Amino acid sequence: MCEVREREETGVGQSVPDAVRTRRPGAVPDGAPAGGVPGIRAAGEVGLAAYPLWERVLEQAVREGEAVYYLEMSEVTFVDVAGAGALAAAAGRLGDGRRIVVRRPPPALRRVLETFWPGLAAIEVSMS
Amino acid sequence: MTSTATATATAGPAPGPFVHPALLYRDDQEYLDGTVPFVREGLEAGEPVAVAVPGDRLRLVRDALGADAERVRLLDMREAGRNPGRIIPGVLRAFADGRTAGPRVRIIGEPIWAGRSASEYPACVQHEALINAAFQGRTATILCPYDAARLPAHVLEDACATHPTVIAGGSRRGRDSGTYAPDTAVARYNEPLPPVADAMTFPFTDDSLPDARYAATDDGRRLGLTGVALEDLALATAELTTNSVLHGGGSGVLRVWGEDGRVLCEVRDRGRLTDPLAGRRPASRDQRGGRGLLMVNLLADLVRVHTGDEGTTIRCWFSR
Repeated sequence: MCEVREREETGVGQSVPDAVRTRRPGAVPDGAPAGGVPGIRAAGEVGLAAYPLWERVLEQAVREGEAVYYLEMSEVTFVDVAGAGALAAAAGRLGDGRRIVVRRPPPALRRVLETFWPGLAAIEVSMS
Repeated sequence: MTSTATATATAGPAPGPFVHPALLYRDDQEYLDGTVPFVREGLEAGEPVAVAVPGDRLRLVRDALGADAERVRLLDMREAGRNPGRIIPGVLRAFADGRTAGPRVRIIGEPIWAGRSASEYPACVQHEALINAAFQGRTATILCPYDAARLPAHVLEDACATHPTVIAGGSRRGRDSGTYAPDTAVARYNEPLPPVADAMTFPFTDDSLPDARYAATDDGRRLGLTGVALEDLALATAELTTNSVLHGGGSGVLRVWGEDGRVLCEVRDRGRLTDPLAGRRPASRDQRGGRGLLMVNLLADLVRVHTGDEGTTIRCWFSR
């Protein structure tokens, strides 16, 4: 329900439903996060093939204007360093007081964020 | 040692902004004589001081400093500098770039000790040589102790090639090394890394980047990697193979195998690495991209690189 609405709103919701099952590249917008909070749910993985789509997802997060934007990543299996960099750059464009909550990201993303952007207030990593 | 013996200068060179002497010590007393006054001078001048040396040496210096040790950043180089490729970004520049308090930053860095393996040593010499480029124009002194009693003669000769100044144990004065040639040292240890037989071999292009990573992870798991170590292997593989696709001719060959209880991962492509400091510069928070090789240096226990007209090979070691 709200998944469909969110897809329509974002306009980047072309779904690749087999992204996780086949382990093919492409973290894709895969609906809205649970709980009716503003944000998007991604699936698959963020590597070279997925950068354009990932950038659009992040640009959407910046444009939405929400104080807190949820990025549900429990079905994202991998994010490389450039993918983490794009997230950090997007967070840097949010402006005062806004933040992206990254929910259940793959371990590599946390590792890279802690290595290169420790204490970045605009990104909150949530494991719940 | 012949190189220092033939050096004629007795006074040190005019102090430029960056000073990089090797200290050739033969015992604990010479170690303390060469390091402790260096630290105290820095503290007295209000300079930030760090000591990154092997654990046993670290305890020696710390005990001699007494209460002053609390004002010094102390790091066990066996851990912080296990991979020589991460010492510049992760230890030296990480300390120096963050300090603006004093006019000069002082660091004691001991990256080469008796017991460094034959695989590690070329990376150690290249690291020592590249410190000069990485700190060019910076107001810093990095003193590098060498255990002259236990390290072989060729290691001490290399120290003279990678340090403009050499301090003999027991002396407070540095003198020109006489054979300082850091670029030559980097080139000399740009040693070929021939393909290993019996390795898992996976040729890749842009289409098969994820498959290359899965292949590395599957083989790493089979070879005994688990948890964070397996994630490190996956991330390093992704960064190296993606670099090959973007900068190394669009394709490459991944190999994974076990050796001496560790897992090795190697990526070979047709590109040429022209920047010797690639992967050794700290990343600023705002720079876009350019962190892949740095991440690999931070993750792996050892990274070796061979680059030339034929292409580039980057080999990483991961402990189980």
